Amino acid sequence: MGAVAELPANQACLDRLTSEVINQGLCVACGACLGLCPHLIFLDGQVAAPDACGLSEGRCIDLCPMDPAPEPAARRQELHQALGSSYQPPIGPVIEAWQGRAVAADLQGKVQYGGVVSELVSLALEEGLVGEAVVTVAGQRGVPQGARAKNRPEVLAAAGSIYAGGGALGELNRALAEPADHSLAVVGLPCQVLAIAGMKSHPRYPAAAQRLGLVIGLFCTMNLPVRGLRRLLQAEGVEGPVLKSDFPPPPAGVYQVWNQSGLHELPIEKVRDIRFSGCALCPDLTAELSDLSVGACEGRPGLNTILVRTPAGAKLVERARKLGRLELEPAAAESMDHLQIAATNKRARAEQARAERQHG
Amino acid sequence: MKALKQEPLDLIVTGVGGQGNVLASQVLGRALLAAGYQVTVGETYGLSQRGGPVMSMVRVTKEKVMGPTIPAHSAAALVSLEPLEALRVLGTYGHPGVVVLTNDRPLLPLNVIAGTDRYPDLAELKQALSENCAKLYWLPATETALNLGNPILANVIMLGALAAAGLLPIGAAEIEAALGAIFPESKMGVNRRALAKGAELAAAA
Amino acid sequence: MADLTKLTPGQRTLLQGNEAIARGALEAGISLAAAYPGNPSSEILESLADSAAAAGIYVEWSANEKVALEAAAGASFAGLRAMASMKQNGVNVCQDFICNLTISGTKGGIVLVTADDPGSISSTNEQDARFIAKLAELPLLEPSTPAECLAMMRFAFELSEQIGNLVVLRSISRLSHTRAGVTPGALPASRPQPYWDPKVAWHTLPTVLRHKAMLAKLAKAGEIMSAAGFNAYSGPERPELLVIASASSALYADEARDRLGVAERVGLLKLGCTWPLDEALLLRHLAATEQILFAEEVDPFIEDNVKALYAQHAPELGVKRFFGAATGHTPPVGEMSPDVLAEALGKILGREPATVDAAYLERVAQRVAALVPPREFGFCPGCPHRASFWSMKQVLAADGRDGLVSGDIGCYSLAMLPTGFQRANAVHCMGSGPGVAGGLGQLRSQGFDQPVITTVGDSTFFHAALPAIINARWNQSDFVLVVLDNSATAMTGFQPHPGTGQTATGRPGSQLDPQTVLTALGVPCSVVDPYDLEATQQALYDAVQAGGGVRALILRRVCALVQNKRGGHPYTVSVDPDKCRGENCGCHRFCSRVFRCPGLAFDEAAGKATIDPVVCVGCGVCTQICPAGAIQAEPRKEAAA
Repeated sequence: MGAVAELPANQACLDRLTSEVINQGLCVACGACLGLCPHLIFLDGQVAAPDACGLSEGRCIDLCPMDPAPEPAARRQELHQALGSSYQPPIGPVIEAWQGRAVAADLQGKVQYGGVVSELVSLALEEGLVGEAVVTVAGQRGVPQGARAKNRPEVLAAAGSIYAGGGALGELNRALAEPADHSLAVVGLPCQVLAIAGMKSHPRYPAAAQRLGLVIGLFCTMNLPVRGLRRLLQAEGVEGPVLKSDFPPPPAGVYQVWNQSGLHELPIEKVRDIRFSGCALCPDLTAELSDLSVGACEGRPGLNTILVRTPAGAKLVERARKLGRLELEPAAAESMDHLQIAATNKRARAEQARAERQHG
Repeated sequence: MKALKQEPLDLIVTGVGGQGNVLASQVLGRALLAAGYQVTVGETYGLSQRGGPVMSMVRVTKEKVMGPTIPAHSAAALVSLEPLEALRVLGTYGHPGVVVLTNDRPLLPLNVIAGTDRYPDLAELKQALSENCAKLYWLPATETALNLGNPILANVIMLGALAAAGLLPIGAAEIEAALGAIFPESKMGVNRRALAKGAELAAAA
Repeated sequence: MADLTKLTPGQRTLLQGNEAIARGALEAGISLAAAYPGNPSSEILESLADSAAAAGIYVEWSANEKVALEAAAGASFAGLRAMASMKQNGVNVCQDFICNLTISGTKGGIVLVTADDPGSISSTNEQDARFIAKLAELPLLEPSTPAECLAMMRFAFELSEQIGNLVVLRSISRLSHTRAGVTPGALPASRPQPYWDPKVAWHTLPTVLRHKAMLAKLAKAGEIMSAAGFNAYSGPERPELLVIASASSALYADEARDRLGVAERVGLLKLGCTWPLDEALLLRHLAATEQILFAEEVDPFIEDNVKALYAQHAPELGVKRFFGAATGHTPPVGEMSPDVLAEALGKILGREPATVDAAYLERVAQRVAALVPPREFGFCPGCPHRASFWSMKQVLAADGRDGLVSGDIGCYSLAMLPTGFQRANAVHCMGSGPGVAGGLGQLRSQGFDQPVITTVGDSTFFHAALPAIINARWNQSDFVLVVLDNSATAMTGFQPHPGTGQTATGRPGSQLDPQTVLTALGVPCSVVDPYDLEATQQALYDAVQAGGGVRALILRRVCALVQNKRGGHPYTVSVDPDKCRGENCGCHRFCSRVFRCPGLAFDEAAGKATIDPVVCVGCGVCTQICPAGAIQAEPRKEAAA
């Protein structure tokens, strides 16, 4: 019934992504490959590539933070160098460290901890430092996805962590591909910040270097796949959709999730079982390639820890403090010690997991 | 009944599904039958609407009843509604004496569209045809049909060219009469113009 | 097709084999004809449907072939002449009924026409349906030309009535779709009034006695057939080689004999009646030669039966040499041709067929090899199936569990080819899609977690899919049923079916909605337009994820060819060259290379995608797949409402 043609044999870049990342179970749904390439689908929290692209070069493998080559330390060193910062494990370069919270009333109840990220993004937009911000929002049936925010209400709509891979960088790719010249802010997890750093330093993506005005990193111990989380919650009798979720800092040992009926807590071990396999290989707790990184302040609920890494980050924090948007105090030495230990532990676990993967 | 140039007079009408190939061979068959000849028109279709190659074989004799398949390398004339198909069929049914009439408008195979295969350079294709037949009529039938208002008329234009090429024991009038038995009079005006255009193209070739 | 009652008796006219079969049935005075469409048989019933009003007879497209033959049998029991026509696959569908009908016997003349497809020009197999005649001990006729189609149909009805049993007439693609001069005879002035005497019962008991009677009918049929003049010999009295041939092969053999110039050495016994064999005739001709070549399509049906007859009479006949499929002189697969037979004759008689100058052949072959790429079959421009299988491909990839599609029979069988993204993992026969899916869906407890989709067309849904769906629903199998509802039996030429509400003759029928049927069966079911890729993918993904039991999705959009006839598609589609980034895009010609609609092309000179206005019908689906938004659809000015 007619000739069956062979698919083109040359399918290098997407083929590498598929064979070395997706099929290895390493994809963490950061979205660095998404948004522009029609060969890649992102549906219900998962990346797939049904057709050969036939190209040898592309963003998919250029930017993938889970590409096993080069090995993580060397890659990070290279990127710090390219961006003019220094590689300082375990928490990366820090020029200032703060503890504090946002003051504004409209943030209360929506934000994780101190609301610092939402306030800083909002301020950057208000002050015209950036024209748009790429953030993660809850999309259809609670699946997180990338979105653009141009003003405070849009930023607030994205407030609160979801802890599930939503491919938000696809939206950043689309934004950077548009014929515009305004500056962009982006909020991302350590894996996403790594991909963004790659984008900023890669000659094939000049728009990223030109237009990425502010990169805010989030502290992260692990992230969860949408589908695995849905199955876990179903098994635990938690009805969707998820409104908000949290990993409270140690020694809580629980995963908290809010739905229509309120708060549910699951033991951290059950959640760790379903996390992205790729997260086990990630050495970065504090998104060390950001302009500034924000996370929970251990032992002080309601406050954030802020690590300022670049002059651009420092300028924005200083402006927020001056305008009274943030109440800040220098980070306590004890908290910083805890953070260093946690970061060192994550790094060690990642190295061990990596070694096991290579030799096992 | 005029004598046939050869017995059986074997003609092939080929093209791509949807080009009106079956209609063209049917008209030819009707016209020849009306003129008193024995005609067998073998058609291959089924998947023909789906973009594949289609071929009809028209076999004309004075008396003997022929089977519906022409032996390899023995077609007297090959009419093709698509240039690539002309060369494909020439490979199986051609011989140094065959006359080839082909539309010059390519219809790209899906595998060419997809980039798996390449459509040959038209000049090279034309040369391969002309070097391997007695006479090649390389005709802008689709372009002419578009000028007449509908690309589907390429089949009738090619029939007009065939009638003018002097291979058949019948002429354009008999073909027109056969068309008239299929189409309502309202559509015969444009069909007559298409036949006449085909004859002009053949004369110029 | 045309009204065949309008033909003038005695005036030779160009008729297709299928039209000649239909005209023969009309001349024989049929009162009822039923069929299920399938190439190469479809035009038989189409012609009868177009003649039904003028002839005053009942003609229907039936839901399947078994129902069609049963309807014909009903008419026969009521004393009327009736027929059922089908392609070779259809004979399998009604085989159970045939094997019982032959025991019960029949009253009014009844004929089963099977149009086989040697070479599988438009089929999924090239099965030789002649074996049904031997299996059910029925008379078998094989015409060679359209004229013989007509004559044999007239004869078949007479024969059926004389023996009280079904008669089989076997056509092939090359005959059904061949046009030649046919001289019609007269149409009957009247037909009998249907009546079934209630004291008469048609059944199979007592079976053994009736079986015996049935064999007697076959013997009687043999006698009648031998006098009918459809078997003919031409050639010398004692030929060096005897060719025994049927159907088109008889014409090819005759031509091969002429081309080799061996007409004085080779005899040709053309058999029109191929079961039961005319033993006396065959024994006479076997006795007159030492060598026999068989020419038939596809299986060695005549060959094996003649050899069996020879074995019975070998002591009287002496040693003979047989050539055919068993010796490799003729192929047991594909179509026969004058060339194959010229070669076989040449091999046996030591003659080289005259051929064309070798240098020419080599030169042409070289040019063809260098320049002519294959021409793939594909979905038509605008075909909803392309959009449907695109979405299935995307969704199964996104699902990521190596999902499977159990396909079925229809245009959408082409999904096994690149045009359907090779997203049909199995295709066999009408209704096998949901049947195979049903088995797969029961393997969950054994660790089989691959999602299963099955696709059936709207016509196939009613033809043979329902029992499989009912079985799956009953036994709680786990799969997604996708009904590709294009509101037509598109593959075979847009015949109506139960879902269309139209009937063969244009009389309005009851319209059966697959959604209503599925809902009544308790199968959850939604309807989506496959042209809307996002909505389709969302619905498909949801259905795949839902799990547990059979759930259905009807992808409803009329066949693109039907839409063309209804005034066309809504858009004029074009590529905005400013937006198309060509080779710089990174999509690597995604539209033409991956989506593969014949309306798309890549303009190498301009380095951009383009639309071929001669091919594109304007469905607008490709506008949804361009990453640059460069393909645009403008509402067509003269678009139908």
